[in-house]
Amino acid sequence: MLTLANVDVVYGGVIQVLRAANLEVREGQMVVLLGANGAGKTTTLKAISGLLVAEHGEVTDGRITFAGRDITHADPAATVKAGLVQVLEGRKVLEHLTVRQNLLVGAHLRPDRAAVRADLDRVFRYFPALPELLDRTAGYLSGGEMQMLLIGRALMARPRLLLLDEPSMGLAPMLAQQLFDTISRINRDEGLTVLMVEQNARAAIAHCDYGYIMEGGRVVLHGSRDQLEGNQDVQEFYLGMGHGTERPSYREVKHYRRRKRWLG
Amino acid sequence: MIDLLQIVIEGSLVGLVYGLVAISFVVIYRAAKIINLAQGEVLVVGAFLLWTFTEGAAGLGWPLPIPVSLLLTAAGCMVFGAAVERSVFRPLIGQPAFTIFMAGVALLILLRGLVQLVWGAETRSIPVILPEGALQIGPFLVNTRLLIGAAFTLALTAALHLFFTRSRLGLRLAAVAEDHTTALSLGVSVRQAIATAWVLGTVVATAASVVLLSGSILSLEVAVIGFKALPVALLGGMESIRGAPLAGVIIGVLEALASAYLDPLTNGAASGLLPYVAMVAVLLIRPYGLFGWRRIERL
Repeated sequence: MLTLANVDVVYGGVIQVLRAANLEVREGQMVVLLGANGAGKTTTLKAISGLLVAEHGEVTDGRITFAGRDITHADPAATVKAGLVQVLEGRKVLEHLTVRQNLLVGAHLRPDRAAVRADLDRVFRYFPALPELLDRTAGYLSGGEMQMLLIGRALMARPRLLLLDEPSMGLAPMLAQQLFDTISRINRDEGLTVLMVEQNARAAIAHCDYGYIMEGGRVVLHGSRDQLEGNQDVQEFYLGMGHGTERPSYREVKHYRRRKRWLG
Repeated sequence: MIDLLQIVIEGSLVGLVYGLVAISFVVIYRAAKIINLAQGEVLVVGAFLLWTFTEGAAGLGWPLPIPVSLLLTAAGCMVFGAAVERSVFRPLIGQPAFTIFMAGVALLILLRGLVQLVWGAETRSIPVILPEGALQIGPFLVNTRLLIGAAFTLALTAALHLFFTRSRLGLRLAAVAEDHTTALSLGVSVRQAIATAWVLGTVVATAASVVLLSGSILSLEVAVIGFKALPVALLGGMESIRGAPLAGVIIGVLEALASAYLDPLTNGAASGLLPYVAMVAVLLIRPYGLFGWRRIERL
């Protein structure tokens, strides 16, 4: 459904952030993208959704295709129309609008007004807390409520592929767990394809079908959930497990990280 | 007492005209995040278009009925607003605020020159479009032109509020007003929204020129209204459509009161100064204006 082939991204004409990144998301899959800070995860999502323009970034090489169409240099409005919606990191609700207005903005490109109203109910099925918040100003919601609103707003566009950038950031572990469960449920029930960037590696891997690990702007490892969970490097770096079953001390892990790089 | 109320009424009505110009600042600022310093000149261009399609056309032997003149003026100023956005401000998207500020100053000077070049430096008379005269309401005399202008301002405020909160296009503009990147991520064309806002802002400014100049004299000096309305927009809150008329009334009444009671004592300086003093005082307490968007910080 979505393919990135040897994609290079350069910011401001000088800083190369993605180097020949390759990635594939199949229809109906839930795919996670893991990696350290600065590995190029968010840039990958923005390259797909066309949002690099807002940061003077540019895809300089390679090809991004979505549902058979080349979207390498498509503008964000065109990608949203094609069914590809990104939820940005950092809880970007429209602060001064109400929850209802936020949800309706999500559907602003759809001509079918009656179906938009029905879709509000569809969103409420996944996020039963939202109906009570409809007339609240979005900027004053709690972090968890904002995240529900953001995913709800994205669903209002009726996407075929949802890009999520660190949805669990700043949420209490239990809320994050609930959120991942809901995302999984949407993925299962609606057949909505999801590509998710996460720092919360353990939970993200547990909920995914397939995962990619990035470092230094490249994909360095990928595999199905079982392959990732069984991979020793992933266990050490992301799941905090040592060679056996005992957990290494923080000092050891740091030391080890400094020594070992994914690619030579 | 009746004198005082009469002054308050007149001040409110004049203030609502300031409010109308302030709305044109607000509409543009919300989408483009630009305070257009040349908004007074934009209004003057709108007024000259109005003159062109009324007296000007009549002078050439093509007298037009007033509604047709108004429609042509509206169309002309829409094209003008779009042209300003396209030629001056669109190329500067993403540039530092200071660059955009300087572009505003340049536009102000440029438009003055352009108006002189196209229409000449002499003053022009605008025909009576809104009924002249005064209405006797109880013991008070109310200027009909300003009364109609005030009603128009209030109706426009309500209509724009509904537009920004209910309609699809309005919600798009509201999303752009909040944050450009977020709006882009929702598939809103930020450029289109900004262009729409400029067109809308120019139309509102031109509508204000109709209220202001109907049956009166048009000259380049009319552009001063821009600098009278700017503190009104700041006081109401740069993002707030509904704040603008209220702030307009506050400034208008203060100006009228100062003009009646303080000017005789201050060689006529008080009425010019007081609105700005009030604005600074309010902004010290509420930097985002009365109804502007306060940045929501989470601790």
